[in-house]
Amino acid sequence: MDLLLQQLVNGLSLGGIYALIALGYTMVYGIIELINFAHGDVYTLGTFVSLAVLGLLGVTGVVTGPLLIATVVVTMLAAMIACGLAGVVIERLAYRRLRNAPRLAPLITAIGMSFILENVMQYWRGPSPVPFPDLMPNPDVHLGVVTIAAKQILVIVLAIAMMVLLRLFVYRTKLGKAMRATAQDREAAQLMGIDINTTIALTFLIGSALAGAAGFVSGVYYGSTWFFNGFSAGLKAFTAAVLGGIGNLAGAMLGGFLIGLIEALTTQLISDQWSNVVVFSVLVLVLIFRPSGLLGETLPAKV
Amino acid sequence: MRFESIARAASAGMLVALLTATLLPPGAANAAGGTIKIGIDFPLSGADAADGGPAANGVILAVEQANKRGVPGGYTFETSELDDAVQGKHDPAAGAQNVKTFIADSAVLSMVGPFNSNVAKSEIPLTNDAGLVQISPSNTNDGLTVGDDAKKLREAHPDVNSYFRVCTRDSRQGAALAAFAKKLGYKQMFVIDDNETYGKGLADSFAAAFAAGGGKVLGHEHITANQQDFKSLLTKAKSTSPDAVFYGGTTSTGGALVRRQMGDVGMTAVPYMGGDGISDGDVFVTGAGAMAKNVYFSIAAPDAEKLPSAKPFVAAYKARFKGASLGAYSANAYSAALVEIAAIEKAIKDDGGKMPTRAEVLKNVAATRDLDTPIGKIGFDANGDTTAPLLTLQTYGPGGKIVTIDQIVLK
Repeated sequence: MDLLLQQLVNGLSLGGIYALIALGYTMVYGIIELINFAHGDVYTLGTFVSLAVLGLLGVTGVVTGPLLIATVVVTMLAAMIACGLAGVVIERLAYRRLRNAPRLAPLITAIGMSFILENVMQYWRGPSPVPFPDLMPNPDVHLGVVTIAAKQILVIVLAIAMMVLLRLFVYRTKLGKAMRATAQDREAAQLMGIDINTTIALTFLIGSALAGAAGFVSGVYYGSTWFFNGFSAGLKAFTAAVLGGIGNLAGAMLGGFLIGLIEALTTQLISDQWSNVVVFSVLVLVLIFRPSGLLGETLPAKV
Repeated sequence: MRFESIARAASAGMLVALLTATLLPPGAANAAGGTIKIGIDFPLSGADAADGGPAANGVILAVEQANKRGVPGGYTFETSELDDAVQGKHDPAAGAQNVKTFIADSAVLSMVGPFNSNVAKSEIPLTNDAGLVQISPSNTNDGLTVGDDAKKLREAHPDVNSYFRVCTRDSRQGAALAAFAKKLGYKQMFVIDDNETYGKGLADSFAAAFAAGGGKVLGHEHITANQQDFKSLLTKAKSTSPDAVFYGGTTSTGGALVRRQMGDVGMTAVPYMGGDGISDGDVFVTGAGAMAKNVYFSIAAPDAEKLPSAKPFVAAYKARFKGASLGAYSANAYSAALVEIAAIEKAIKDDGGKMPTRAEVLKNVAATRDLDTPIGKIGFDANGDTTAPLLTLQTYGPGGKIVTIDQIVLK
């Protein structure tokens, strides 16, 4: 039993990273119905940018106290800004002109962007795994029978905080309202005076910035990165978005945590090599009974 | 397509031979010589380059030395190096493509490689079909040379073997590691592998030998490709309280990450053991970080620095490749190249200076007995396995330096 609880903690922290990436997938899909395959690589870019910033700051090992908080904030903000801008550039270059093209075209350019990012990162830091500095002390927090490492708490708290902030933004601000309107009916929104291009660029900015944050915490959490990491993480996060109901923010979060939990529990109860099989079987089952995902709403078909 | 290009290449080769034979007297042909290529197929980029690069250097050194002292018939050896790594990792499809390139080039009379067993699996059917000699310095999977698996790889010419290796097999490496584990006092171990040809094969033979020797295998798990999170798996492993964890696989498939994350789940004091896949020095040590200690592994090669017969080789290697490190399989690759060079030179002499055929080279390689090399007197059995297998047990010392614990001659 203790072991299962421990695995729940492992699953939640893994799921937290998936959830952060899934938020970006779901936002972009929600607004332009594009599966942004480059999103997983933007996440890896976040880790690489964090590494570069830490290098500039001269951080190679554990820092403590106020300096730690400053380092974390500066590095994470830098990663978020860099990734957010990368997202905007990707949208401008590869997707905007194809917005009204057949759906397959932007899908292919998305895959192309993914390859470009992977190869740029491979050129930048080489094809081997790159170590990430041990940044923060990692004391264990004992909660009854369960041990949670400080880094795990960071991942889980950050994922939930980001989701809450994002929800507030989308549902409580004017810009969020514009985003929702654009998602619902692009042309009508334009007629109402909403600048579509800016709104979509903003969506990419926020979604990619979240991937940047995920990239930073994954570097801290795993202590190493690799230019190709975004491929499988992106796939899982996309699955999380679909499982939770693509286009739905809370759904992406739920899907991310669920997949993390399923993986951890499958590893514990069955075997590690079956975790992907179980994850995707659950996805298939959920989609059979709820085609729009766990929290997805059935939207009226677009004409 | 392939047959066409082989036929074209072969006819072009014959034409050249015919022209040389008619236009020049035999003596002049000898003096003119020609270029004989030795193909090299290793992972030369990515995490695996730490393995492949130094091995390729071994072949290059052997070829340069042969050219320097002079090749019979006035020929010149040349190496043709191709990289089988894709996205930074050894790739069976890329290896097969490289072998096709070698086969299509009539100047390539033999090749050294590949480094990884799963790559060999996709290459052996091709070299078997074309009759091109292939010697690997480092493939240790059993199924490449023995049993039904080996038969399946040689369906084109079941009676011909063109694949050889100068290192031992995993059943022997696994058994030696199991004996080593017992000697270190491990009574119960948790086994993890990367589910690849090499990794799973080694983990299976280790687990079987460890259990047969009275040890207890607490669990045997397989990780998946590109996996980044091993914390759940290691939490499970930790709960079985193993004396040590065994990893079958390479650094690039997760060997270093698994070790690093053992620290994250509180298995800091638990030793880690593996095969030659985690013997790549810097890449493993950087990847594993602070956990790159208490790690034991074997290599299916001698510790060249400590072997008296390898002294001249080590000196020549260090003089030629300043700054490049001596890899675990550099001496093996050098010796594999020596076998091929000797076979080609014998064929040249037997033919009176003519360009040898691949079949002649194959015949001579298969007949190799007691050839003096840095790693001992090399010969091959009917399966293509070396008759002088060596194994070295090592660990990462302070600063990530590889320290040899023991050297075993397998009987």
